[in-house]
Amino acid sequence: MTTSQPAAVETIPDWKRELDQVGLVRRLLKARHWYGADWWFSVTSGVLLVFIFSVAIFPGFYAPYDPRAEVAPGMIAPGGESFFFVLVSQMGGPTTLDELVGNAVSVGLVAGSQSSQVLRDAAEKRTEELSQQGQTIRIRPRIRRYDNMEQALAALRAGEVTSVVSENTAIDGLLSGTSDLIVGDSLTFASKTPFYLGTNQIGQDLFSRIIWGTRIALLVAFAAALFALAIGVPLGLVAGYWSGRLERSLTMVMDSLYSFPGLILAIAIAAVLGPGIFNIIIAIATLYVPTYYRIVRGQTLSFKQTLYVEAAHSLGARPLEILARYIFPNIIPSLVVIFSVNVADAILTEAGLAFLGLGLPPDTPDWGIDLAAGQDFMRQAWWLVTFPGVMITFVTLAFSMLGESLSEILNPRLQETM
Amino acid sequence: MSKEKDILVQIRDLSVAYSTRAGWVKAVSNVSMDIYPGEILGLVGESGCGKSTLGKALMRLLPSGTEIAGQIIFDGEDILTYNEEQLRDFRGQRVSMIFQDPMTSLNPIQRIGDHFLEAVSVHKSQVEKSKAMVSIQQLGERLGILSRRLNEYPHQLSGGMRQRVMIGLGLVLNASLIIADEATTSLDVIVEAKLVDQLREIRDEFGLTILMITHNIALVAEIADRVAVMYAGEIIEIGSCEKVFDDPLHPYTQGLMQSVPSIRIDLIEVLYKMAGEPPDLTHPPSGCRFHPRCPWVMKICSSHEPDLIEVAPQRFVHCWLFQDHPEKERATIKVRP
Repeated sequence: MTTSQPAAVETIPDWKRELDQVGLVRRLLKARHWYGADWWFSVTSGVLLVFIFSVAIFPGFYAPYDPRAEVAPGMIAPGGESFFFVLVSQMGGPTTLDELVGNAVSVGLVAGSQSSQVLRDAAEKRTEELSQQGQTIRIRPRIRRYDNMEQALAALRAGEVTSVVSENTAIDGLLSGTSDLIVGDSLTFASKTPFYLGTNQIGQDLFSRIIWGTRIALLVAFAAALFALAIGVPLGLVAGYWSGRLERSLTMVMDSLYSFPGLILAIAIAAVLGPGIFNIIIAIATLYVPTYYRIVRGQTLSFKQTLYVEAAHSLGARPLEILARYIFPNIIPSLVVIFSVNVADAILTEAGLAFLGLGLPPDTPDWGIDLAAGQDFMRQAWWLVTFPGVMITFVTLAFSMLGESLSEILNPRLQETM
Repeated sequence: MSKEKDILVQIRDLSVAYSTRAGWVKAVSNVSMDIYPGEILGLVGESGCGKSTLGKALMRLLPSGTEIAGQIIFDGEDILTYNEEQLRDFRGQRVSMIFQDPMTSLNPIQRIGDHFLEAVSVHKSQVEKSKAMVSIQQLGERLGILSRRLNEYPHQLSGGMRQRVMIGLGLVLNASLIIADEATTSLDVIVEAKLVDQLREIRDEFGLTILMITHNIALVAEIADRVAVMYAGEIIEIGSCEKVFDDPLHPYTQGLMQSVPSIRIDLIEVLYKMAGEPPDLTHPPSGCRFHPRCPWVMKICSSHEPDLIEVAPQRFVHCWLFQDHPEKERATIKVRP
């Protein structure tokens, strides 16, 4: 024994021996030597989460548009270039809406396109603006419909119509090489940035909405999980350590809460509390209090039986000291896992509640609300449901992955088996 | 009176009963014995005979709902009358315990040094951390725990080292009695031998009293000054180690000695197996609890319970063979001192 021990000590590599002397960050770095895949998992998800957090904290930096503004025509496909409608006229003809005044004015457009709606909306808007400035001009051009853009342009050249309204992308090819026609003003907001993820049915930029939605999702999920932790953990510790009437009644309450289907309970609470972000947080937190309570109570019960707690007793430690220094620190690794899984789950629940229209105002940029809205247009616009869904999956997955792998690394008891 | 001052712990009529669904289990019944300062007292017996319960009763570490009757007089004070606050001072500072399994008796997520600091701060919260650490390092050196080791976690230590830490935790507060509850059971024989040596050294150096609870009779023979044998919740024989091992009086002790396997292979000897099973403590046998298994059983044994009497100086036996009773049909055996 005496002779074999020094040899055994030398076979332990230096980085492993140093491991306990360095701080948490260096320890995490060094841990990659023997955690392998687990380590890479946690680092990947950690980096991902750091990015997601930065998105949630500074959404204005990442989002090109105001998430609530209707910045473009609806239903632009992902990656859609700056997409707007322009007036096309003969050289010297009208280039702005204001010039389309009078009874003789007529505008050509392709039948079945969105141009007529865009023209009508833009004309109404401009008329209103002008009337506010004290001018009573009504912009109300007559509309002529053509089967396609070539016919419309031919009519324009023939003088049948004063101008043609067209999507900017549709006329690019037709106008190249000609000089008799000019492109006038845009009838809608002219965007600089492309719509990476398309626009929704009312013309809001989906990319910006998803970025702003991160903030709501993380805020609600984190607050709810923290709230549940703050209530469930002390209750679980107390109930596990001092068994008795209090423990029995607490367990009964928690078990009855636990036996409800989660989303239905959250719906009920959210419906009773009424709308508001804080109420949603309470509704979701209520769901997770029993999870913490049960796990912490169970672990307290089992750690209470361990010899080192008994040894602490035999050294004369007070119950609160035992709870705080012997039992609680041993529970932390499982709390990390439950917490991250709960955050992931809370994101899902929040999205579910928002999907059902509970709690948040309907114009809030939120993944659940976007999902619900996009659901009606699933056939025409796949991107409306896909991207919020992908985001929910992504963030949920990152949280679960981080929790699992972190618990492996932080728990010194698991090092024993390595 | 002067003689009583030499006694560290006086246990008088101690009974401990656990409440179970099957009824009250009298794990310890009417035990009386003394523990002298500076001695190593071995407490042996089969599993479930109440050895550990007796040890825990000495620290009042029994679960709530357990009934304790009798007296445990420690340094002149009955600890059964202590309140929670007094008990906390008592535990650790005057008595400390070393547990069965060194693998699990240390907090896995606390460094070794913090265990020591914790033990100190529980009782002396005003002690400065750095000062305490110096004395802890000194104690560690005396026990063979390198100061580098104080920065390590329990899982990085070998079983023997952990047990040394446990002993150190008992010593750091200058406890006068250490209860070692099966402290060496999970160690291999070599580590066990080293630890036993160390326990003896520590006893000599610190003037400790050690109560060694074990079922390992060979170990007791090796280390203990006196030995107490327990059966079914009662002490049935106490005496000095040499006397009890050379000339066991109680039939149970005799059987126990014969059941110890010998390491010598040339001795072709059938190992003695005691007849019967240990009794169910919810319904213990009438009279002497050993009578259903006793080879010398008499009529009186099943009706009357013997006392633990001193048959020779410092030699106590709980058996009708050695005491008189008008209904006895056999002559009382006299024991030569």
